[in-house]
Formats: sequence, C-alpha cells, structure tokens
Amino acid sequence: MNWELLTVAVMTGFANWAFRALPVIARADRIAAGGWLERFLSATGPAAIGTLFIASILPALVPEVVKLLPLAMGTMAVLAIWFTRRSVVLATLVGALVHGLTVWLML
Amino acid sequence: MTSPRSAFLPGLSASLPIIMGYFPIAFSFGVAATRAGFTPLEAVALSLIIYAGASQFLALALLSSGAPVLVSAFTLIAMNLRHVLYGPALMREAGREAGTRHAWAWAWGLTDEVFGQALGALARGQRFSEPYMFGLGLGAYVAWVLGTVVGAFAGGGALDQWPALSAGLGFMLPALFLSLLLSILSRRQLPVIAVAALATVAGTLAISSTSGILLGMVAGAITGLVRK
Repeated sequence: MNWELLTVAVMTGFANWAFRALPVIARADRIAAGGWLERFLSATGPAAIGTLFIASILPALVPEVVKLLPLAMGTMAVLAIWFTRRSVVLATLVGALVHGLTVWLML
Repeated sequence: MTSPRSAFLPGLSASLPIIMGYFPIAFSFGVAATRAGFTPLEAVALSLIIYAGASQFLALALLSSGAPVLVSAFTLIAMNLRHVLYGPALMREAGREAGTRHAWAWAWGLTDEVFGQALGALARGQRFSEPYMFGLGLGAYVAWVLGTVVGAFAGGGALDQWPALSAGLGFMLPALFLSLLLSILSRRQLPVIAVAALATVAGTLAISSTSGILLGMVAGAITGLVRK
C-alpha cells in the first residue's frame, strides 16, 4: 500500500464525512430557522438538483445534431414517464433504456 | 420515508437508479486507477475511504504526478465543500422533529445523488426516517465500492464490447437528476433553478466543471434570498 495515497485518502475522507455529517448532527438548519439562512437553505436543494442536472448533460452537448439524438430521446422518455406515471425510479430507468436503445439503433 | 423501522428496504429500493448509475462510473474509476499504476487494493481503498467520484479521479492525477500530500489533500477537500449545504437543506425539509441519532453513520452516504433522491422523496410527501437514509445510502455506497472492485480487477475493455449498454448506463445519472428536478419543480422554484442552471454553464465554460457546480448551487441559493 502506498502510504502517501493512504494519507491523502484518509484526510479527504475525513473531511468528506465532516462536511456531510457534522451539519446534520449540529442541526444547522435549526440554528438558521427564521432568518435569511433558512431561505438560503430552502433554495439550496432545488439549486443543487438543477445544477447537477445541467453539469451532468453539459459534456454530452456537442454541435452535431445526430450525436444529440440519444440525449434527446432519453430526455423525452424521462419527461413522458414522469408526466404519466410520476415515478422517479421508473422515469430514470426508462430514460436510460431509451438512450441506450437509440445508441444501439444508430450503431 | 414512512414508518421508520420498515423504511430501510424502501430506501434501498429507492437507491436502484443510483446503483445503476454509480456502478459503471466506479467501474471506470477502477480501470483508470489500475491504468495509472495503482494496485487494485489501492483503487478500492480510495473508493472506500474518499467516496466522492470527481475527487477520486482527480486524486489519481495528483498522486500519479507526484503532487505533495498536503496540496493533494486540500485540493480534493475543496472540491467537496458543497456537501456542507446538503445536510442542513435536507433536515430543514425533514422538519424539527426528525431524528439525527445515527446521522454520524448515514450522513456519510450523503452524496449529490443520495441528497437529491432523499430531497425528492420529502418533496413528494414522504416522512423522513433514518432507516430510509441508511437503505438509500448503503445501496449507493456498496455499488460504488463494488464497481471499483470489478473495474480494478477486470481492467479496461469489458464495457467497450457493449457500447449501447455503456451509453445507457452513462445516461442513468442525468436521467435521475432530470426526474428529481421534475419531482420538485414548482413555479416558486423556477427562478432558483434557472439562475443555478445559467451560473453552472457560465462557471463551467469560464473556469471548470467543479467551479461551475459550486457557483450554480450558491447562485441559485442566493436567488432564494431575494424572492418573496
């Protein structure tokens, strides 16, 4: 085992745990209750999910219409399933399936 | 997140899209780590101990280029600073009575996707419970570590034989984020999401994808301050 790697991993892992767990344990949301920080936190969730969606599709956005087809088909499948079944799991799985099938048909 | 004791299995089943999204990414990480000269054991150790995708890929580049230990560690730590916001945002939606007795364990699994899935469940009216969070987090964590194990031992090329499967699995996380976005979408949240999206694009194009993510989240959250 490379000890430098282990040291970096343990320091980073500990910080990750602290970032994720300590604000929950300290109930930082209660400290923020009623003030500007509460409004900030209530907007954090939607902002984070919107951000992560955009960040996850940005690499797939290329200036070639044909290469965008799997992304478009997968996205439409997610929208169709969500608006008809209102299921996150089903919409995700069907979206990925349609995306993969489109790639397969284009091979 | 209904009755607390029975919520573990629903949490585990809610992690299915995350499991299917994580496995191929972790697989790629295992392959990349062994190609960069690390042993399979070291690759798995990184996934077990760090458990943060982008940081782990950057760790490979930093460590294999001989960057100093402290510089590497602080660079990787800075990449995950956004996670500080997830716990309070989730617990605010969970309510004041929500338990956090075992948060020291389940909150370790509060990654981008687990946070999104948990928040979506609360937005759909489910009640917060720690067993649900355990189930959700455990499925994702096991998939991440197992994907790394398979990638590190199988080596590259395994998914190259199946490009359509690889592409479908690659779309799993964008599809999950889009579904989650739809599940929380409301007229009230539109300005927050729009500003977050624009800031993400601008930050990614101008600086880097990590900066884009951080800028998007902060800009969207600040928009929440100015709305009524």
